[in-house]
Amino acid sequence: MGKEKIIISPVTRIEGHAKITIDLDENKNVEDARLHVTQYRGFEKMCEGRPYAEMPGLTARTCGICPVSHAISSSKACDNLLAVRPPKAGRNLRRIINLAQIIQSHALNFYHLSSPDFVFGFDAAPEDRNIFKLMQTHPQMAKDGINLRAFGQKIIETLGGKRIHPTWIVPGGVSHEISVETKDSILASIPEALEIAQTALKYFTENLHKFKKEIDSFANFPSLFMGLVNKKGNIEHYDGFLRFIDSQGNILEDGIDPRFYKDYIGEAVEEDSYLKSPYYKPLGYPNGMYRVGPLARLNIANACGTPLADIEFEKFKNINNGKPVLNTFYYHYARLIEIIYGIERIEQLLNEPQTLDTQIRAHANINRNQGVGCSEAPRGTLFHDYQADDNGIITGVNLIIATGNNNLAMNAGVKQVAQTFLDGNDIKEGALNRVEAVIRCFDPCLSCSTHAQGIVSSTIEIRDEKKKIIQTIRRG
Amino acid sequence: MTIIVGFGNDLRGEDGFGIDVIKKLQNYDLPNTKLISTFQLTPELSLELKEATRLIFIDATFSNINNYSLACNLEEYKHDQLSHHISIRTILMILERLYNTKPEYELYSMFTNSFNEIIDEKNYEKAIKKVVEFIKTVN
Repeated sequence: MGKEKIIISPVTRIEGHAKITIDLDENKNVEDARLHVTQYRGFEKMCEGRPYAEMPGLTARTCGICPVSHAISSSKACDNLLAVRPPKAGRNLRRIINLAQIIQSHALNFYHLSSPDFVFGFDAAPEDRNIFKLMQTHPQMAKDGINLRAFGQKIIETLGGKRIHPTWIVPGGVSHEISVETKDSILASIPEALEIAQTALKYFTENLHKFKKEIDSFANFPSLFMGLVNKKGNIEHYDGFLRFIDSQGNILEDGIDPRFYKDYIGEAVEEDSYLKSPYYKPLGYPNGMYRVGPLARLNIANACGTPLADIEFEKFKNINNGKPVLNTFYYHYARLIEIIYGIERIEQLLNEPQTLDTQIRAHANINRNQGVGCSEAPRGTLFHDYQADDNGIITGVNLIIATGNNNLAMNAGVKQVAQTFLDGNDIKEGALNRVEAVIRCFDPCLSCSTHAQGIVSSTIEIRDEKKKIIQTIRRG
Repeated sequence: MTIIVGFGNDLRGEDGFGIDVIKKLQNYDLPNTKLISTFQLTPELSLELKEATRLIFIDATFSNINNYSLACNLEEYKHDQLSHHISIRTILMILERLYNTKPEYELYSMFTNSFNEIIDEKNYEKAIKKVVEFIKTVN
């Protein structure tokens, strides 16, 4: 028997479309496995020729999930072009909407996309492994998911004017201040959101013991971690400095101004995917594989800086005796801790008197011809890098999307899970689900890191070494 | 209460049909009626819709034939996995399973194959008018 290939397409319960191919050797053991992002994104090119002020609104259209993240990084890149720093109120309000975005996105991943695996198990029948079954068996959990996402979305709508593609975040700050009533209405919704998040965290940690095999094999390998930290080295989502650590927790780089990201991050292109593969330059490609997102943010940080999140942060750090947590399954845990942090931090920011100031935006003309904006999106560190002429017309754009930073790690994770769970002689649905589930740990947003074009069929194809299809499995 | 939800992307040509119908409906004082216009249906929309005794959804649906004609067929909407956007069927299921409410519902879906621009403005407007008049009459 020759080599065979298994294709999972599309990968389900993620944002966007991708496929996974699994190559079997002559003995039907998994030889290799890869994630292919099958969508094309052309935003860098589309933005050329546009006035800089349009960029936050334009690039926010990259994605319907995290438009706020793009608007934040984009506006920061524009701040950089103008050589301005928004007033404190503008910065605080941007921070609040960014955290609201992270909360609603994390809630979507945990409750709607991933919880069916936790509740029903990875080997449950596919027709049961979804949110609809969850509604039947765990209606309160399903309601909690809706309410927690609504909490984040409501803040985005209240501040930004609309839930999807708000235009309130602008170069120099934000377009209007908030009232006391708005502040009070958000504050009033915080206790319920916090209670929901804590309930989810309790459920998750109490059930972790059921997933030992998955924890041990879901992209559990040494890698670097990268993200933003503040001056104290604590978790940071809006501003701060880049920090790289290795798998032992040694700090490789610290205090890096994100404007100089190109000195540390290289970008490789692979033939079989539209998603580029960033890497840590000093180690080269592909050895410079690093991870970003919730797990990385907690791994690189000294603390969260809010009371309840810090209690959980300590427990998280104890998983690997203070060293970085390498098991990608713990992205879910980190995500829940970040939700708690986000809610607490929003409360802190709203209670800062300066947040209500009416000075919310700095105005200037173009003062630089290059601007870089960087922030933490739900899925990791996001870079917007613009070149503009003296009239403010964009002449070049480079985007490193959060999901893209994890591309090398996702590929390595898919391979590890496939080799652990998949038997080429007896391909079980549960094994294929685990291959997809490792991707869901990273919560990739592929419509964002690329862009949709066409409809991908819902099939798994098993092919021999001549690429002849020998088996087709319909999924979904 | 009747809630009318128009959804679509008004930057994508005839996909904005639902949004444009809602814009027109805003000119009328429909009794006990709430109008919602949104890019896409999301899970948290159910928090607003659970108050409804009657729901009307308006959108555009892909078809290569009979463009600008209206259909009312929920079978067009797959029983999808919940993600960042969901179908009408899913919304109805959420309302029933989580909030124990089963409002009457209607769907006005305009056939189109143009999600880039409005190809035939006259027929597009005619379809909008047809839905608006029908909703006004029924109300």
